[in-house]
Amino acid sequence: MSVLKADNITMQFGGLAAVSNFFVELKEGELVGLIGPNGAGKTTIFNMLTGTYKPTKGKIYFYNKEINGKGVDRITSLGIARTFQNIRLFSDLSVLDNVKVGAHVHIKSSVWKAIVHWPSYLYEEENIHEQAINLLKIVHLENLKDHLAGSLPYGEQRRLEIARALATSPKLLLLDEPVAGMNPQESKDLMKFIQEIQDKFKLTIILIEHDMKVVMGICKRILVLDYGKTIAEGNPTEIQNNPEVIKAYLGVEATSYA
Amino acid sequence: MKKNNLYFLLNISIIMLIIIFIIIANKKFDSYVIRILNLCAIYIILGVSLNLINGFTGQFSLGHAGFMAIGAYVSALLYMSPELKEENFFITPLIWPLSVIQIPFVFSLIIAGLVSAGVGFLVGVPCLRLKGDYLAIVTFGFSEIIRVIFNNLQNVTNGPIGLKGLPIYTNLWWSFGIAILTVLVVKNLINSSYGRALKSIRENETAAEAVGVNLFFHKSLAFAIGAFFAGLGGALLGSFIMTIDPNIFSFLLTFQLIVIVVVGGLGSITGTVISAIIITVLMEVLRSVEAPMNIFGLHLPGIPGMRMLVFAILLMAVILFFKKGLMGKKEWFWDGLFKKCFPSKER
Repeated sequence: MSVLKADNITMQFGGLAAVSNFFVELKEGELVGLIGPNGAGKTTIFNMLTGTYKPTKGKIYFYNKEINGKGVDRITSLGIARTFQNIRLFSDLSVLDNVKVGAHVHIKSSVWKAIVHWPSYLYEEENIHEQAINLLKIVHLENLKDHLAGSLPYGEQRRLEIARALATSPKLLLLDEPVAGMNPQESKDLMKFIQEIQDKFKLTIILIEHDMKVVMGICKRILVLDYGKTIAEGNPTEIQNNPEVIKAYLGVEATSYA
Repeated sequence: MKKNNLYFLLNISIIMLIIIFIIIANKKFDSYVIRILNLCAIYIILGVSLNLINGFTGQFSLGHAGFMAIGAYVSALLYMSPELKEENFFITPLIWPLSVIQIPFVFSLIIAGLVSAGVGFLVGVPCLRLKGDYLAIVTFGFSEIIRVIFNNLQNVTNGPIGLKGLPIYTNLWWSFGIAILTVLVVKNLINSSYGRALKSIRENETAAEAVGVNLFFHKSLAFAIGAFFAGLGGALLGSFIMTIDPNIFSFLLTFQLIVIVVVGGLGSITGTVISAIIITVLMEVLRSVEAPMNIFGLHLPGIPGMRMLVFAILLMAVILFFKKGLMGKKEWFWDGLFKKCFPSKER
């Protein structure tokens, strides 16, 4: 079943086509890598999929339902969650509260019930609490739950951001450079962690990453972007040997050495 | 859960203590002290409601005086007797339905709050696209617009003459009752799932939206609830000082509230309550420095305005030594208190 289908979406900023005619179709449970040099339009694609930008052309379908032009929070509630390239946590909230904010999107009680602590709200709050604690256990942060999110070390902030995204109970997870700035051991751990959560939550994942070891290691399918256009698509070995890709990454001269 | 029950009992006992205090105050204290106590409570209401918008949701609003003006006028026009209205509106008569209505104080309070909340919502909507300084400018503009409209709407507000001889309904019961209500509502809201969403907007709007927080709903929620209590505070203030005119609700009033909130700590209810009390009491206590006095045989004549100077110095000291206000973003409810008193029992 197709989870997400981006049908030739284009994003035009004035005269610049940041992304042109991007097409992708994701099946349930896939882990797709999205790579490309800086400024290729990878994050722009994420911004279109999550509703931050409205594509100038083309349609996006999520479980065969069109989601073009829907608000960011609306799309999140349908089941698309993301993390950011530069970590965006709620620094002055506790680790636990960060995750709980993610669960807020599915709350059913009204504000008034929340203010007077109506039993149905308290029940929901209890559920949110349990869910958040469980997620923190999965990302191994449960003993830091009362610390401020901003005080965590870098790698743990990354994991917390993923936990917060998972709290929205997504079906599709968009990870924007999850291992950027990590040392080899940390990124190896995170790779394993990504595969674990994918199995556990039956997620479909798109991953933007510059670390080729990570991408080649865990992605079954890879899309390569350059100047807003898809220049190659296939499994890791195909991509590694594709002359177009080598050209985009290393320049024309280097092709002879590759 | 046991802990929560204990805290609930402690909260109840605090409220009981306040009730006992009010009973004693009404019997023993003179009207001057009671006046200051009333002012304390009113500033708590206004400060806490402003903190909900500015401190917790992070939307720097300067429109509080506007909401108060609406609350004060709406309630006054509803609880004044028709004869009193006729006396007041001697230049241009009051328009028809308002000129004959008189309803009890309670209902006028509720309606004042609701009208103010409605306006708060309307202000919140166009302001959603603005952030930081720009939001501050627009909300400041709003409160000035309200003032100018009230100055010119002769047949509703009596213009710059204002409303005089308002009956005094505000007493310690009303002011402290509503202050407690405000603190409870804002505290419960802030500690709920909706409160976490509000704080997440303050921390990072983009991320908040990306985890599914509806910015439109939550920002207008904060504005509406903040404006509701500002309206109540304005209504109480009107009936307390007995006379209102549009120029009371100038920028200076908002500024005073901002000072209370900033000194207490943006994002701390306990901080706001403490600083509201300290600042209101200080404003009265410092009157003594304006009196003529003898220091080391040197005679100083009374200098009017001296109190503001001392006040400004104290403020600067607070800002120097407590960069985030007295309480920062911390609260001082039972949890913290217990940890302070019995550190050994932790773990």
